[in-house]
Amino acid sequence: MAATKRYQRSDEPIWWSLFSAGGVCVAMLIPALIVLLVFGPWLGLLSAEALSYQRMSALLYHPLGVLFIGAVIILPLFHAMHRIHHGLHDLQWAHSSLAKWLCYGSAVLLSLLALGLWLLGVFV
Amino acid sequence: MKQPDSIPSDKQHLSMTVQRYRPEQDDAPVWQSYQVPYDDSTSVLDALHWIKEQQDSSLAYRWSCRMAICGSCGVMVDGTPKLGCKTFLRDYPKGLKVAALANFPIEKDLIVDMNQFLHHLTALKPYLIGQPSSASEPNRQSPEQVKRYQQFANCINCGLCYSACPQFGLNPEFLGPAAIALAHRYNLDSRDQGKAERQPALNSKNGVWSCTFVGFCSTVCPKGVDPAAAINQGKIVSTMDGVIQWFSPKQLDTTPQEPTS
Amino acid sequence: MSRKPYQPSMPANWWLKHPAYRFYMLREATVLPLLFFIGSLLYGLYCLSQGEASWLGWLNWMQQPWVMALNALALLASLFHAFTFFRLFPQVMPLRLGGRTLPASWMVAGQWLGVLLVFLALWWLLGGYHGSN
Repeated sequence: MAATKRYQRSDEPIWWSLFSAGGVCVAMLIPALIVLLVFGPWLGLLSAEALSYQRMSALLYHPLGVLFIGAVIILPLFHAMHRIHHGLHDLQWAHSSLAKWLCYGSAVLLSLLALGLWLLGVFV
Repeated sequence: MKQPDSIPSDKQHLSMTVQRYRPEQDDAPVWQSYQVPYDDSTSVLDALHWIKEQQDSSLAYRWSCRMAICGSCGVMVDGTPKLGCKTFLRDYPKGLKVAALANFPIEKDLIVDMNQFLHHLTALKPYLIGQPSSASEPNRQSPEQVKRYQQFANCINCGLCYSACPQFGLNPEFLGPAAIALAHRYNLDSRDQGKAERQPALNSKNGVWSCTFVGFCSTVCPKGVDPAAAINQGKIVSTMDGVIQWFSPKQLDTTPQEPTS
Repeated sequence: MSRKPYQPSMPANWWLKHPAYRFYMLREATVLPLLFFIGSLLYGLYCLSQGEASWLGWLNWMQQPWVMALNALALLASLFHAFTFFRLFPQVMPLRLGGRTLPASWMVAGQWLGVLLVFLALWWLLGGYHGSN
């Protein structure tokens, strides 16, 4: 076994950067979003008309709405799937590259779905 | 267990359960309990000495300085990696379990084989590389420059952080907390120019990228080093290194080879 | 003399065996309820693209007790995640000002202030000011 192998650069910087950016979004934005969207009407923080179809489609389908999609859906998705990928390794359930493909692949597909739905709303 | 007459009757006792592994007779570690006398100043290492002198001379463990600087007497105390000399029986009035450091192969009783750690340490070249050496001129360093790496220089290579790290337990090829903290320490040193030699190992899967920031390594460090911080600062360094590599023109490949044992 | 080292292996339930590991796994598990909330948002995005009736249906769905319960869990999880994440930030990126490292407690406090400001900004954006009439 005298063969030497080269150190191979890991592709983790990509996933870790997305994970970290997602982690910031989850910590900074998600608590406020859940309080307002889920409990806002219930607690009386928001009036019924605040979440009306006209207002919400005007807000979300604004060109800047895509930033919102990125910050509360896409980056948090990569954050979550990164932790699940490493969690599968921690639990010794899956070590294969298949698990990695499934984790990050589903994050990519669901992100594309989110962007598609947004574009659908904007242009249709 | 019959107590020898030599125990002073005015001392309190507690039950210390010690992990034994006698390779000539055991296939797996077994537990053995001893009633040990203690007072406020009795350390786990003192208690091991007492067992070896008074009850069981076959007990094997490592020790040297008795003052938390040699890093020899690392053991698991109730499942947490500790230095035996820095852990006191007074904090465990209901008794305690002492085992060999986790995640390392056990040679005998409390003695583990730390070669894996030392192998990783060597791979990361934890020494000054390429500093301009001139016999007439000392290497000058400002207090601010010392402060940048000083925290990570306090490592005594005791290996407690490797026993605390589940990622090392799951994957012994992970270079691990202390080795990466020391690589980071030299990378931060203004006198050092060896970053390019250390970076390929750090950039690899078994370098900084096996870490999931459990953070327990920093909790157990007896010298207050923060290896988790070093590794995760290393992730930013490795990411930047990758970005720079991506944008820079192709150079002659001088990638260091992974050493094989 | 021949050696016979005992090779330990990680038990499947290693993460249950120490408070530090249980804390770690709890932190990692915060993404599970988070995924439910992200799923709720994706569902809402779909409903919004399908017209007003569909959107009202989603608002109704969000007020179902089991959905609210799971999203309440997601809220707790996101707050716990924030608690752990904010503590790590000064370790990963120590900020230096004038040759001194900013105290970690300041950085943690600053991030919680950010959470509060984001809440107020989002409240205003979603029409919190409408509540006054």
